[in-house]
Amino acid sequence: MLLQVLLSGLAIGAVYGLMAMAFAIVFYVTRVINFATGQLLMVSIMITAALSRAGLPDIVSVVVGVLASTVAGVLIYLLAVRPVLRFDRFSFAWLVSTLGVAIVLQSLAAIIWGPTSRGFPALLNRDNLHIGGAGISVQELLTIIVAIVVLVGFELVRRRTLFGKLGQAISADPEMASAIGARVTGFAIAAFAIGGLLAGVAGILVGPITFSNPYLGDTYGIFGFIALMIGGIERPAAAMGAGSCSASCPSVRTRSSARRRPTGSRSSSSWPCC
Amino acid sequence: MSAESTTPVIAPALRLEGLYAGYGRFDVLHDIALHVERGEAVALLGPNGAGKTTLLRAIMGMVKQRRGVIEVAGTDVSRLPTHRIARGLVGIVPEGRRLFLGQSVEDNLRLGGLHLRHDHARTAQLLRSVFDLFPVVERYRARPATALSGGEQQMVAIGRMMMSDPELMLLDEPSLGLAPLAIQSMADALLALRERGRSILLVEQRVDLALQVCDRIYVLSGGRIVEQGAADDIDGRGRALIDAYLG
Ligand SMILES: Nc1ncnc2c1ncn2[C@@H]1O[C@H](COP(=O)(O)OP(=O)(O)O)[C@@H](O)[C@H]1O
Ligand SMILES: [Mg+2]
Repeated sequence: MLLQVLLSGLAIGAVYGLMAMAFAIVFYVTRVINFATGQLLMVSIMITAALSRAGLPDIVSVVVGVLASTVAGVLIYLLAVRPVLRFDRFSFAWLVSTLGVAIVLQSLAAIIWGPTSRGFPALLNRDNLHIGGAGISVQELLTIIVAIVVLVGFELVRRRTLFGKLGQAISADPEMASAIGARVTGFAIAAFAIGGLLAGVAGILVGPITFSNPYLGDTYGIFGFIALMIGGIERPAAAMGAGSCSASCPSVRTRSSARRRPTGSRSSSSWPCC
Repeated sequence: MSAESTTPVIAPALRLEGLYAGYGRFDVLHDIALHVERGEAVALLGPNGAGKTTLLRAIMGMVKQRRGVIEVAGTDVSRLPTHRIARGLVGIVPEGRRLFLGQSVEDNLRLGGLHLRHDHARTAQLLRSVFDLFPVVERYRARPATALSGGEQQMVAIGRMMMSDPELMLLDEPSLGLAPLAIQSMADALLALRERGRSILLVEQRVDLALQVCDRIYVLSGGRIVEQGAADDIDGRGRALIDAYLG
């Protein structure tokens, strides 16, 4: 029973974790929080669902959906973030402009596909596995695996490659990084692309257990953002961990928190939603 | 070498002509004319707030130049983005060093040679030359940059600049905050770089260090060049003049 809760929790937590990662990679490189990240997840869900309804094979719909959110991520940087940073590198105008993009994307989706919920292809959600008496769908298992691969991949690149170290350098001191020859703008575009890609993938992974709805970006955006805040905004890996824990812990937490309160500020008490 | 009179056959390492630059709507630098010949070490002296850092930043493309010429080794860099200038044209040891503190000494050095990263032989050779100049840096190569003393960090910053093998080396008050012993070893390192034929523009507040290391000096005050001359021409009178400017 506990295992069942943990497994389902882990799967949905992995989605929040991917969303946290999407926020964190963008912030890590550019110091910008892309408040339209949740809407990027929505874009991939809506486009995949629409293409699938139009009769395209699942694989094509999924690839186009993820590509769309990736491209949308880059466009957000080019159209809504770079212009305001150019005007003043230290202003917080991106806060307003990315929130604006979120509303625009949401409204556009509602105009194109209507404001009501529609189906999403089941993908791998039909097949079930059994692990020690608990059931998990292949889709959920895939979600957990993808989250782990992304996490490990990110940390390997960050710590082991010159590219990853350059990312750290840009994060710490973008001007000095450009003074050693780094294309800071190129990195920023890549970060927004990866953010869009991760949000898109999260959308595909969670799609089959939800539905396609223009407003569902909000929910996942907020969860991802909270996971980012808990994990620590400087550390994408921790943000992802926080996202995963947050969803799988609530049932366990209600029992343990009475006994032992964590000393750090990173307690799980700030979860209004689980 | 009296560099003013000769017309160089090859382009100088740095040529500034009628340069105006500054922040926002205000010019900090006014009508700057300055040159550094190949293999020459030039000092830029001046009081706090004179615009020395701004001048180096303008060469790196970090401060918008409003008017005038900035040429590095014959290339007009005034319209190039900073990262292009950094790829083999100009290397900088900035004010306050600005090492990548979260990373190891060796990673700091390798990041300095970013545009040469695919040329493994050249990178290895440059790394060797840094280690030859600063044996301490080789000993500490695996340590995090934060674990080093101020003087050692300054060596890493100079090494990071050397790794890009630039036509022109800029150093912004490298002696600031260092112990006397560390200052002397820094001066020795700069002399060694000059011996190797590097072109250097050194911003300094310490006149003795500047005169020891450099061939010529410029004095900047209030954003204008107010004095210039060969380092060995600076007699008692010139010295007094410079001291007056430096306050
Ligand atoms: N980022 C900046 N924005 C606006 N003004 C600046 C900035 N940095 C320096 N200044 C001004 O430019 C002038 C020259 O500064 P700086 O080049 O740092 O002098 P120095 O390096 O010779 O001490 C000073 O009056 C300073 O107030
Ligand atoms: Mg200065």
